Amino acid sequence: MDLTQELTKALAELKRITGITLEVNIDTPEAAEQAVIQIRCLCTAYKEKYNKSDFLQGLMTGGIPAYDIAERANRLHINPDDKRVLFLLESRHIDETVSEILKNMFPAQTKTYLVPVTENTLALLRPVRPGETEADSRRIARTIVDTLNTEALAQVQLSYSFIFKSLADLPEAFRETSLALKVGKLFYSEQTVFPYNELGVGRLIYQLPVTLCENFLKEIFGPDVPESFDDDTLGTINRFFQNNLNIAETSRQLHMHRNTLIYRLEQIEKRTGLDVRLFEDAMTFKIAIMVLNYLQSERNH
Amino acid sequence: MASLSLQGIQKIYPNGFHAVKDFNLEIEDKEFIIFVGPSGCGKSTTLRMIAGLEDISGGTLKIDGKVMNDVEPKDRDIAMVFQNYALYPHMTVYDNMAFGLKLRKVPKDEIDKKVREAARILDLEKLLDRKPKALSGGQRQRVAMGRAIVRNPKVFLMDEPLSNLDAKLRVQMRIEISKLHENLGATIIYVTHDQTEAMTLGTRIVVMKDGVVQQVDTPQNLYNTPCNLFVAGFIGSPQMNFMDAVCNIKGNDVTLTVGEHVLKVPASKKKALIDGGYNGKTVVLGIRPEDVHDSEAFISNSPDSVITSTIKVYELLGAEVFLYFDVEGTQMTARVNPRTTLRTGDKAVFALDMEKIHVFDKDTELTITN
Repeated sequence: MDLTQELTKALAELKRITGITLEVNIDTPEAAEQAVIQIRCLCTAYKEKYNKSDFLQGLMTGGIPAYDIAERANRLHINPDDKRVLFLLESRHIDETVSEILKNMFPAQTKTYLVPVTENTLALLRPVRPGETEADSRRIARTIVDTLNTEALAQVQLSYSFIFKSLADLPEAFRETSLALKVGKLFYSEQTVFPYNELGVGRLIYQLPVTLCENFLKEIFGPDVPESFDDDTLGTINRFFQNNLNIAETSRQLHMHRNTLIYRLEQIEKRTGLDVRLFEDAMTFKIAIMVLNYLQSERNH
Repeated sequence: MASLSLQGIQKIYPNGFHAVKDFNLEIEDKEFIIFVGPSGCGKSTTLRMIAGLEDISGGTLKIDGKVMNDVEPKDRDIAMVFQNYALYPHMTVYDNMAFGLKLRKVPKDEIDKKVREAARILDLEKLLDRKPKALSGGQRQRVAMGRAIVRNPKVFLMDEPLSNLDAKLRVQMRIEISKLHENLGATIIYVTHDQTEAMTLGTRIVVMKDGVVQQVDTPQNLYNTPCNLFVAGFIGSPQMNFMDAVCNIKGNDVTLTVGEHVLKVPASKKKALIDGGYNGKTVVLGIRPEDVHDSEAFISNSPDSVITSTIKVYELLGAEVFLYFDVEGTQMTARVNPRTTLRTGDKAVFALDMEKIHVFDKDTELTITN
């Protein structure tokens, strides 16, 4: 009996991804069907074992034991000892356009690997050229964001890791970039690029247990912890902080009389017990607002 | 091309940072609008809201009369040029310009037509087969512009596109962009922190500070009649000289006293000071460097506006000379003719052109006389 169309397709696929040519003799349509299933399973197994993207995804998420890294990397022609940096990119939807643009920004010969992580996050593992520093990582990160903004008109946020010398450090780099992306989005949402080493107080707060945060807020605000503050209050205080607690400059920028500003700050003191004109209270208030934001995001999840 | 309307636009980030406050602007078709201001003033954020790359927290954005607040960026019919552009290294200039259209599945012959037209406008026709590494910085920037032009958008948004170029190339590209605006008849919104770029390119300039629009006007009006101290200091290079002065009003005579110097305020300026009740109050006197004169003829004709000082620094720039000196502890600059005989260490007499002075309220920093 002649090969069915499906079987021919499956054999072609097997040859494409593995280079193996199989000769199949079949007598019945059932046997043909069985052969198709077997060949497809072979393809899947091969992809799982030999696909660079799957390998790197597994490595990033800690799914590959350390003793296996070098051997599997070599089999996939990935040098385990190249210096590299990991970028983690998030967009509302990572579609074909985004992937195409990145592939063309970093063509195959640059040995840069694109690894899908979730529906809206994508990792980009790039070799570091001799002499490149973290300042170059920042420049590349900015270029990626600007290019995707321009070409794909996509909203993008991106974090990047330290420069690491071995693939064995990739899981750690992935943890750092994931943390940077989460902390950056939460506490520094006005930015689009989050370096792993510029997370400030946000890094500390993000790693605190929720109960500890709740206790901290109770200590500051008493039993009635506010859910959040209104935009006017937050706007006034943020501007006051941005101006280093300078009443004259803040009132000028907010186009309000200094007495109005003082009245507003006193209202905040009445409500919270914190006189934000004093450095210590201002610092406490700033951290409390960050903790409030963090808890709110935790609840939303 | 298109008109834009921004009404009460606000941007508040989830962390409470208020980046843009109550931004109002009507942009006519084919205008070249510049957003200028210091770093962090909200100019790029506003541009990104127009593009749809940032959500709008409040207010209404309209393009050609249609509300765009919730429209996806790709459906807004805009094109952008940024500071950090990447050309695809393995593609020719032609393919770099065509790539965006290929992704959008535009037919081949249409792509070819658009790329060749953009190449003609940008004078890139002879370079279409070259790879990016064989191009100069200016040529690369032109290719980046070409990628925007081929989209044939309603509005061009440019965010500091020349910042990565050296000074000489920047001047050259400035002229190119100006020509491009004329050739395309496009509506362009251009963000920069460089006031020279703003003054030379824009039909109107929006000066921003701390997320708030300070003044929207033509370059000439911004220079001649700044609405507050910030705009006066930001626009103009070297910047306007500022001195604290005490206003004295006696009947119809108004003088400004700076230390031992008493300066008579001309009729065109004094009404605002009298009406505002500034007698005895300290105000800020502003004067541009080119309105501080050292010529004998001007000094003898202006006996009521003379100041004396010692020259600290003499700077010859070829076509002009900058003289730096102190008046009552404030550093001042005079832009004078290169034939001046004054040199560092000389005792100097200057006369201010009092018709050109600007007086600002010391508390509100708003102009009193403009």
